[in-house]
Amino acid sequence: MSLHVLLVEDDRALRQTLRDALAVEGFEVHSAASLADAQAQAQHAAPDIVLLDLGLPDGDGASLLATLRQRLATPVLIISARETDAGKIALLDAGADDYLVKPFSIGELLARMRVALRHRGTRLAPAITRWQQDALVVDLAAHRVTLADAPVHLTPTEFKLLARLVRSAGQVVTHRQLLTDVWGPDCTEHTHYLRLYMGQLRAKLELDAAAPQRLLTEPGVGYRLAEGSA
Amino acid sequence: MPDNAAATTTARIAWPPPLAEPASALRWLLGALAWAACWAAMLALDGHVDLANQALLLLLGGAVAALWLPASAALLLGLLSVAGFNWMFVPPRGNFSVDSAQNALLLGSLLSVNSVVALLMVRLRAQAGVARHHQQQAEQLRALGELLRDASAPLAHAGALQQALAALVGAPVALLLRREGRGPLSPDTVLALGATNADEAAGLWHALRQGQAMGPGTGHHDTMACWYLPLRGGAATAPGGASEQSQRAEGCVGAALLRLPAAGRDDAPQRAHAQALCDQLGQALQRVFAAQAERDALAQAQGQAVRNALLAAISHDYRTPLASMLGAASSLAEQGERLDAAQRQRLALGIVAEVQHLSRLTDNTLQLARLDAPGVALRLDWESAEEIIGTVLNRARRRAPERKLRARLEPGLPLLRCDALLLTQLLDNLIDNALNHTAPEVPVELLVRRDGQHIVLAVRDRGPGVPPAARERIFEVFQRGADLSHGGVPAASTVAAALPQAGITRPQRGAGVGLAVCRAIARAHGGELRFRARGHGGSSFECLLPLVDAPSGAPPAEEEAR
Repeated sequence: MSLHVLLVEDDRALRQTLRDALAVEGFEVHSAASLADAQAQAQHAAPDIVLLDLGLPDGDGASLLATLRQRLATPVLIISARETDAGKIALLDAGADDYLVKPFSIGELLARMRVALRHRGTRLAPAITRWQQDALVVDLAAHRVTLADAPVHLTPTEFKLLARLVRSAGQVVTHRQLLTDVWGPDCTEHTHYLRLYMGQLRAKLELDAAAPQRLLTEPGVGYRLAEGSA
Repeated sequence: MPDNAAATTTARIAWPPPLAEPASALRWLLGALAWAACWAAMLALDGHVDLANQALLLLLGGAVAALWLPASAALLLGLLSVAGFNWMFVPPRGNFSVDSAQNALLLGSLLSVNSVVALLMVRLRAQAGVARHHQQQAEQLRALGELLRDASAPLAHAGALQQALAALVGAPVALLLRREGRGPLSPDTVLALGATNADEAAGLWHALRQGQAMGPGTGHHDTMACWYLPLRGGAATAPGGASEQSQRAEGCVGAALLRLPAAGRDDAPQRAHAQALCDQLGQALQRVFAAQAERDALAQAQGQAVRNALLAAISHDYRTPLASMLGAASSLAEQGERLDAAQRQRLALGIVAEVQHLSRLTDNTLQLARLDAPGVALRLDWESAEEIIGTVLNRARRRAPERKLRARLEPGLPLLRCDALLLTQLLDNLIDNALNHTAPEVPVELLVRRDGQHIVLAVRDRGPGVPPAARERIFEVFQRGADLSHGGVPAASTVAAALPQAGITRPQRGAGVGLAVCRAIARAHGGELRFRARGHGGSSFECLLPLVDAPSGAPPAEEEAR
């Protein structure tokens, strides 16, 4: 059975293009041009993934996200123009899975959708406990990190930070989410903690800390752990 | 002007001009002494000189005493002295009777001459007082005028006027002044000095709106206990044909409230003087407003010219990628079946590349417009230079995998206080610029170091560099000078034109707004972007960001690592 995609986008040309491109990839696409339309479709069609534009004619995509989050763990991908950074981050903090800045290529969209679908259901059960990329292996259950079979020594905070990123591997995690989950809800403004610890992690886990391949920065938004290879 | 000089001038203006001579104890004492000396002399000379000489002494005493005594006292003391003279010296002595007609005549003329002299002296003194008063008023006007003549911000001297007026009427004075020459009057556009009650505030607003003096003697609201005087700046700006009333309102830049003492409510000279003081500030304000309006008009005209040039240049820079996109897309649409798969792929990839270029051009143009707007808000946060460089490097390597890109970061760099999106955009642009204007084998290097109170982020290459004449112009938006383009072919932009094209294989693309945005971003952060020619050839674009002390709150200490 093919996967259902709910595409919420008010620009007709872009909607049509995405619809065709996704259909070619084997998705069954339902599209909506307004928030009200999208609410109805979400109730009716039970989509497997939602692509959500922010600037809709009859409201903010945030309310749809709230509706979806009440019932389901449906992955939500934000597609937005660059100017709406603040709205984008707010939605990510409110539980959206990832974001794409317009204009984007179909290749990028499909890659992000794959990651989001893989994470489907992880809100209910801790699915990802092991992450591997080339020589680096993170085993959350065993509390162990190895680089080329040699154990890597991480401080408890470094490990917590890495574990949080592993649980959302391939997806962006906002500064606020990381600060809340690792340091607690009182520390959401202390971005400099993050900079410090990400620097330490990179020094231990990256080949070249100045050109990271694993712990990626999303400027102004958060961090993304590259997708694992296993 | 130094502060103390201003203070001195203010003090001189505020010096209360004496309206009448103060009757001081000293004056009474001097008057009394004059009479006492006169009497002492008369008594001492009694018997040695005749009566007429004594009478002359008495006249002298009266005249001298009148120099200091008030008129009534001078007259009274003169009368008493003549009576005493009669008692003491006129035979028969010891009583008021007079034995001869000659002596009676002497006493009579003594009394009248003494009175006339006293009155003349007092009048002379009064005239001298008035002259002194006028001189002081003139001095006050001159001092205020001097203070305001070269003042670039006359509003700062409103306090001096307030003090001068308060000294004039002996009561606190309130002022209401326009801050700007044009625009509607509202509480935000005026400066109010001095406390007022609701009625007084309304009066001041009325006077300011109408440009009309009100209060005793002005012909408007004569029964009020205060004057409302307009600060008139002259009707230079009033358009021809405007009514007298609207001209008056147009030229009025403020109003003053003078609370009057019970006496002297209809003192026309005083009101004229107060009005003159007010008008001096009014004219100074009007002068500054007029200069400001002239500057604004000029800036607007220049802004319009810049905007037009910008729009023309933007249209030009957009048209080039649009042309190749339209070409490729229409070819795909119309000749699709007749093209082979490789040709179709090439056209499609061409469209993708052009769209990416257009998208960056749009980002830059938008950002420039945003940074140009007043009160632009940056999303400042603590950022690590390593992360920013890492992101920029990764993106650049994706765009140009065949190029040699290197980053060097000084160890132990402090955190940057910046807007991460903007700073990455700045570095993206600089790297693109370097990649576009150097041969493919030329490496491009990113360098971050600390330099005193700045962090320097430099993008450097060993390419052909920028000719000295173009080194500032490359930072201007879409500048396209004929002197910079070669071969008469219009270049895409200054940067494209300014940089020699030797050894360049990929199509030359102008930075368009690229470097202008970079500089705007650097400046929005309180930093600077500059070009430096490198010692052995090549360019270095250096962004200097001010160093900000990182927050002291260290992350909570960790227990021993496991």
